[in-house]
Amino acid sequence: MDDATYLLHRLGTSIIVLLGVSVVTYGLLFLTPGDPAEVILTQQLDRQPSAAEIESFRATHGMDDPIPVQYVNWVTDVLRGDLGTSYYSDTAVSTLIVDALPLTIELAVASLLVALAIAIPTGVLSAVHRGSAIDYASQLGALVGVSMPNFWLGYLLILVFALTLGFLPVAGAGSYGQLVLPAITLGTGMAAVLTRLIRSSMLEVLDEAYVDTARSKGLRKRIVLYKHALRNALVPVVTILGVQLGSLLNGAVVVEIVFQRPGLGMLLVDAVFERNYPVVQGITLVTAGIFVGTNVLVDLSYRYLDPRVELGGETA
Amino acid sequence: MQQPRKTASESTHSTPAFDTDDTTHTACTAESTTDLLTVEGLRVQFPSPDEPVRAVDGVSFGIADGEIVGLVGESGCGKSVTARSIIGLDPPEAAVRGSIELDGTDVTAASERQLRRLRGDTVSMVFQNSMETLNPVLDIGEQIAESTKVHDHPDSQRLLDYLHAPLFSSRADWHERREHAADLLDQVGIASPEERVDDYPHELSGGQIQRVAIALALASDPDLLIADEPTTAVDATTQAQLLDRFRHLNDTRGMALLLITHDLSVVAELCDRVVVMYAGQVVETGPAGRVLRDPSHPYTRALLDCLPQRVDRNERLPTIEGAVPDPTDDRSGCPFAPRCERATDDCRHGDVPTIDLGDGRGTATCYDVDDSRPAAPYNRPGITVTAASDESDPTREPTPAAETPAAETPSSESTARSSTREKTRPESTADGDREPLVELEGVTKQYATANGLIDRLFGATATRRAVADVDLEIRAGETLGLVGETGCGKTTLAELVTGLETPTAGEIRFGGDPVGGVESRSAETLADVGVVFQNPRSSLNPRLTVEQLVAEPLRSRGWSTDRRRERVRTVLDRVGLSEHRARSYPHELSGGQVQRVAIARAITPDPTLVVLDEPVSALDVSIQARILNLLSKLQAEFGLTYLLISHDLAVVEHVVDRVAVMSRGELVEIGPVDRGFDQPTHPYTKTLLASIPSLSPEETAGVRPSASDGVSSSLDRPTR
Ligand code: SF4
Repeated sequence: MDDATYLLHRLGTSIIVLLGVSVVTYGLLFLTPGDPAEVILTQQLDRQPSAAEIESFRATHGMDDPIPVQYVNWVTDVLRGDLGTSYYSDTAVSTLIVDALPLTIELAVASLLVALAIAIPTGVLSAVHRGSAIDYASQLGALVGVSMPNFWLGYLLILVFALTLGFLPVAGAGSYGQLVLPAITLGTGMAAVLTRLIRSSMLEVLDEAYVDTARSKGLRKRIVLYKHALRNALVPVVTILGVQLGSLLNGAVVVEIVFQRPGLGMLLVDAVFERNYPVVQGITLVTAGIFVGTNVLVDLSYRYLDPRVELGGETA
Repeated sequence: MQQPRKTASESTHSTPAFDTDDTTHTACTAESTTDLLTVEGLRVQFPSPDEPVRAVDGVSFGIADGEIVGLVGESGCGKSVTARSIIGLDPPEAAVRGSIELDGTDVTAASERQLRRLRGDTVSMVFQNSMETLNPVLDIGEQIAESTKVHDHPDSQRLLDYLHAPLFSSRADWHERREHAADLLDQVGIASPEERVDDYPHELSGGQIQRVAIALALASDPDLLIADEPTTAVDATTQAQLLDRFRHLNDTRGMALLLITHDLSVVAELCDRVVVMYAGQVVETGPAGRVLRDPSHPYTRALLDCLPQRVDRNERLPTIEGAVPDPTDDRSGCPFAPRCERATDDCRHGDVPTIDLGDGRGTATCYDVDDSRPAAPYNRPGITVTAASDESDPTREPTPAAETPAAETPSSESTARSSTREKTRPESTADGDREPLVELEGVTKQYATANGLIDRLFGATATRRAVADVDLEIRAGETLGLVGETGCGKTTLAELVTGLETPTAGEIRFGGDPVGGVESRSAETLADVGVVFQNPRSSLNPRLTVEQLVAEPLRSRGWSTDRRRERVRTVLDRVGLSEHRARSYPHELSGGQVQRVAIARAITPDPTLVVLDEPVSALDVSIQARILNLLSKLQAEFGLTYLLISHDLAVVEHVVDRVAVMSRGELVEIGPVDRGFDQPTHPYTKTLLASIPSLSPEETAGVRPSASDGVSSSLDRPTR
């Protein structure tokens, strides 16, 4: 498949995926018990709203239409670039998202860097010293890392580095200092998964004949490992990375709450609790879009990593 | 330096090294001063659950500057492990003892840094299976450029520089090296090297890959090049060019070469000296000419006897009985003793002496070396270890050796006497107008080569003719050989005959009736053609037992369980596999046994035609001889017709009646094997024949006048 065909194909499937995601979330939201209008008004007015108040709220927000009609209206608006407005503040959903998104992306990228910085050397080392103390230690570390819940690690780090030692700010967002602890919290869990993956992938690659060739040239061990072997070992790792993105976003929600970062995750949780459906819908759609887009990027990066790969899934 | 350098005149095609007078090699015994490489008492053991595996068990030999040494032996004899030890690439769990002195440094005790210097400067290695030895994610230019960079600066290798990190690496320097890489590619005979440097390994053909692997090894301008089976996977013409390249490098750069091979004709073509290994030990060394012509060690003799080019056509090939000893066994005495006819009690205990044959004729590690043997051409009837033993004594049948997985079961081969064969054979060949079994008329097979989906959508019509307008008949009962280079269309032609492919044009007839592809063939026609695929190990389902594998073709034809079992038993017996093997899985079998299973599978439905695709190319010579014997036995017994595809012309010449030569999809020559090989008419056949290294051209010199311009001499054999 050539690039254009491939991208066209991916675009087509992406649209289907996004439509599916929106239908499912829309459906789920309306299945949740309780009348959103009532819940929202109760919170806003801080008292039980009258029937008339509820009536007018429903009318202004188009809640009187049957659900499929509401959905179609929403989709039509989205196609026009309008994600709707928040039930609470009359702010456009897109504005809310645009404000929150950079914080989340910043967190995701930083965590990924932390994860790779830990996982690559540890994975490579434990593959090279297979069966040694280093290997067991790193595998144990990976096990602990995988089993440790994000929120627990987050609070632990706050306790040690922010409250006791006072090195870093407790919470909030905006400065690099405030990014460190959340990134470590989110990154370690991922690092644990990646370490195992890199280790097993490296073990396989180290048995390949081209590694011997590289050594027989007289190359330094480090170059053999990090240039010849790692490059090959990363191919399967990148695949998993694409899939792992989902759990990264998942984790971001928890971490943002722990560290009080007003990112997408926090926005989403608040919106769910407040029954702020347009915001929930918007965030879901954007997140799904990011997910799909990143996976296309992952696919494209294969070709850089492994020239044998032809787009469309076949290996030449 | 005592070793006389080989001069250019000695090593040209027309004057093989073999012909040179032995006296020029006076000083080149194993004891001669070998200042480049000296291996002393090398032992390499690998840990295993029970006994350690003794892969190399006390090997000593040397290589002088500019010398070409052949290290020969069958698979598992330790030759590759020895080679890897020389370059310091033993796996970490291996226990290496003894010393390997390379250019004054002991490799076994060298530091990482010393090893890097040796590898970057003194020694290079071309590994077996070069397709896997090149890094798939780096382009060719990069891989070669690295080598030259290591060579120039072995001690200052910075990771960021090698990763081309901006600021840490000089683009200009790498660029220059890539240009140099193109030069190197040019030197190994790669066309348009400037474009090839940007290619990735998977974009190149097998022959090109092999050349690239050699260029990579030469990039560091080594004093010693170790080449592990460098020509095994390539076709005859490429092999000839590569050997020529080695010879040229040896002449011009004075580069020494350690050539690891199981192909004795390559040794004859190129080597000054030979080191013969068996079961981890060196059994014989000496000048290549002497060893090949007048081998002293019983194993060397037996090995040479197995070669089809040394035996009259249609005659049974001698084989070596028994199996290589288990490498975990306790060693005492001569490792060859269980298979050696001359073995005495002395041989089975203690150390076998290494005897200097004197006059620079080398050494042999054997009690029974006849020093007074004249240096006359070695006479085959005088062989001591041959098939003679397996044809006589039926009590030997389930030899203890045959119980081990590595063992070859000789049992039922013994029922086929060469006499049977000689009786049936001449009839079938003489009877030229026997009725054709298979006829091909104007058969053409085209493949679309349009690339992308878009191309195909718009009906781009680039096609390649894999087989072009071939007329051919295969006569009942004959063996037709199909030869040609890789990509000449011979495999496609075979697939057309078997029905795996359907022709784009033309007609294929079986016994006069036109047939199509597999889907359209009747059950009988399908049962009529058996196929033995290349590389049996990968063509057999590893999850099925031998019995299931052999019965599979019958099952799909609806045979009852009892009938299947009966048939499988008969067939396994006929191919020489003992009954207890029936429940084994392919991985438990040796290469020869797997090939027997593949053959059994092909003949169970009782076909008339069997297509043999490179049936012995992956096997060691002694095993190869057994399989060839088996094939001719089966042919006589079941009246089979064979279509044999092979790139090994020595094999082809030994077994076929008629030979068809293909080039670029076309059939360029067809005729009786004598005529095809002795008086080739088509220029392509001449080149093909000329590219084959000869084992012993002198044996035929003067006996039979060579056909046109000496081209055919390479395949001649003595006419007695
Ligand atoms: S030492 Fe004895 S057993 Fe070994 S090869 Fe010589 S004669 Fe045969």
